Amino acid sequence: MPPRTCALCNDARAILKRPKTGQQICKECFFYVFETEVHNTITEANLFKSGDRVAIGASGGKDSTVLAHVMKTLNERYSYGLELFLLSIDEGITGYRDDSLETVKRNQQQYDMPLKILSYDELYGWTMDAIVAQIGKKNNCTFCGVFRRQALDRGAAILNVDHIVTGHNADDIAETVLMNIMRGDIARLGRCTSICTQGEDTIRRSKPFKYAYEKEIVMYAYFKKLDYFSTECIYSPDAYRGHARAFLKDLEAARPSAIIDIIHSGEAFEVREDVKATQKSQQTCKRCGYMSSNELCKACTLLEGLERGMATAAVTDRARQKLDADGPSPGNLRTIPFFQLPASLQNPTTVETPP
Amino acid sequence: MLSTASLSNIRIVSYCLAHIQFLRNCFFPLTTHKFRRALEPNVNPKPDGPRKTALKPAGNLLVGFSGGLGSSVLVDLVHRCYVSLDKSTMPTEGGRDHPRHERVWKKITVCYIEVCDVFPGMTDKTEAVANLVSRYDELELVALRIRDAFDPSWWERVRGKPAFSEIGVSLADQALFMESLSHFRQDPLAALHTYFSSLPTPTAVHTSIQTLTRVLLLYTALHTGSSHLILGTSLTSLAVSLISGVAQGSGFNVREEMLEEWSPDPGVTEVPELWPEDGKRAQKLKRTVRIVRPLRDIGMKECAAWAWWSHIPVVGKEKWLWPGAKPGIGTLTKDFILGLEQDYPSTVSTIVRTCAKLQPKGEVDGKCILCGRPSQRGVQEWKARISIRSQPPPPPSAQRPLPIVEESPDHASLTPYLCYPCHTTLTSRSARPVSSPWPNTTQPSVVSLPMWTEARLSTTNKALAESNDEEVVRQRKLEQGEMKGIVDQFLLED
Repeated sequence: MPPRTCALCNDARAILKRPKTGQQICKECFFYVFETEVHNTITEANLFKSGDRVAIGASGGKDSTVLAHVMKTLNERYSYGLELFLLSIDEGITGYRDDSLETVKRNQQQYDMPLKILSYDELYGWTMDAIVAQIGKKNNCTFCGVFRRQALDRGAAILNVDHIVTGHNADDIAETVLMNIMRGDIARLGRCTSICTQGEDTIRRSKPFKYAYEKEIVMYAYFKKLDYFSTECIYSPDAYRGHARAFLKDLEAARPSAIIDIIHSGEAFEVREDVKATQKSQQTCKRCGYMSSNELCKACTLLEGLERGMATAAVTDRARQKLDADGPSPGNLRTIPFFQLPASLQNPTTVETPP
Repeated sequence: MLSTASLSNIRIVSYCLAHIQFLRNCFFPLTTHKFRRALEPNVNPKPDGPRKTALKPAGNLLVGFSGGLGSSVLVDLVHRCYVSLDKSTMPTEGGRDHPRHERVWKKITVCYIEVCDVFPGMTDKTEAVANLVSRYDELELVALRIRDAFDPSWWERVRGKPAFSEIGVSLADQALFMESLSHFRQDPLAALHTYFSSLPTPTAVHTSIQTLTRVLLLYTALHTGSSHLILGTSLTSLAVSLISGVAQGSGFNVREEMLEEWSPDPGVTEVPELWPEDGKRAQKLKRTVRIVRPLRDIGMKECAAWAWWSHIPVVGKEKWLWPGAKPGIGTLTKDFILGLEQDYPSTVSTIVRTCAKLQPKGEVDGKCILCGRPSQRGVQEWKARISIRSQPPPPPSAQRPLPIVEESPDHASLTPYLCYPCHTTLTSRSARPVSSPWPNTTQPSVVSLPMWTEARLSTTNKALAESNDEEVVRQRKLEQGEMKGIVDQFLLED
């Protein structure tokens, strides 16, 4: 059987089948379409302006490693005029984060980008190892997720950047759409397909890999010989997300376009206005100044629970009531440093997100 | 007869509600209340209007019947509430002579569409369905076959206008080019087999059956003077179809999946566009068919309990399978949701409640020529942007001449007339080999389209005519300098 010709350039020998389209294409065309699609995503959403300082959320995993490479490539190819930084969060998980941070340090050398590593220990006084030792594996993802989100914003504020980009890919977003529908999380459902999110008190955050398939990210890393650290978090027991991920993989096997079709669905609907009106408005945490939908932000509540030995305080209503009934917070409670936006973002402009 | 699985479901219902005697006493009025609550606010032409006086639908009622559990319960409920006027199903308030207790529907028709033509070896259940429906007096049965979608005589019967020319589409090509069919019109069964053999995935087969069935029911409703089409979609089935729809890209039509108002395209049918004059109404009403799912608050287990205690025989539906077929998105979703429901019991109601809080986003760009649902503007541009399929990549060496792609002027595409999910159904391919339900069917390059699609293409009279006037589209790779020029306009000023 003669070698197949690339479906795009009709010239070179096809060496891969694109997971996203099923087309058989050559390596050069794959790099071209992968990078151009990310570029289309960036330009269509007007994500950056020339001179922006952009932090790449770098975990050392495949998504962020490829993101750093592609951002650097596109920034040079299309003269975006961005100043790029690497920002890593060290959750303090022995044997997991230690190795992947080495990858990030190598990326720093390879791409010549400044790197900032901010640890949970430094910020909250707790490592994930210590948190798991207190609360066990159940619900530990709640702590890690909430703490990481704030840590990224705080790291970005330290770097004085205008924008954070993360390596969330199409599979992550499709999975989140399904989970939010099945769990009835209407607030998150309304915003999970937005490429860019920015509240009044947060740094702009976006997902340039929103339409990039996980398989293609791996393929890109493979052909570009990028090294990354691939392992599942040792404390990750989120059964519900695991069900949703397995379901998504089945759907993808049945019809590979399912991932992009779910994202399209998520972009094609929105929460009804009358429902939006009933949702909680955004405010500022009275203790740490971070955005919050309650008086205390989730991170402060979680931290207070840990400090007072009632770690589930922010996880269940009953535990929160117990914490409140236990009296006011002691004065010597360890707290998170007060959050301040970088100077350049003190008066943010309105951001248009794509329809 | 109910299966063992259904019996075990009933035990679960009893367990959940703790006291079996209490359950039996309350079950029927509760279920009837849920049924009426879902249907009756949508009966009058102005939905959810004041209903204290009476229910006055603009036309008759068509009940879509699949032979499954939900639709069997639905027929029984409709008969009890609106034909036999079973007192136990009536609301107690308002007195014996309250107008609510009068007949609501002048005529009720049950429509069954036999799908066995699609699958080799599947049993024809039309007779069993006819026997079941004959148990209910005053319900008329209309039995169709799915091949009717390709049958000019059916189209003529429902007063559809004939197409000026017979148009087919090439499903083998992602571009979905249309052509006039040069051969004599195929026998409807052969056209059906060809159509289904040309579909790219098992998911597409299942979804196409659902689409054809739905549109056949809608034209039947129009023909029978029905203002309402009701379906036996239970809470469980609705949750499955919502998630399955989302997974197939139909987020824009989430609202239609719950409640839909349909009218035929102008010029496609000879059925008058307005309802006949009614002395009581001040103005003439546009003729529409409202699709309602009155069992949307009633779970599968409650349906099973209703069928069991009411001794309703369920004809049953066979699985839509053929040799070598892998499960499609619909089947996978059903298995997943039912499995998840075991560990997270509120899953199905959460899904339905969440989707009820959504509305379509973006502009409507007419109606899909295949399914008749609103189509979102700009979906093809979106698809082209997020997955490049034809843009020539840069040559590996700078010396290689820039390739030029020319679109043939002889072809018009069906693509602009399709909504996102229908386009995906016809074009999205599987990564693994797909077996056809009819592997021995000769696959012509062009397959027939359903009668309503052909008729609408004829009325727009655009597709083929315009193709001759189209400019040749030239695409070429941009040089770096030109690319920068394009990027510049997307970058914000300092």
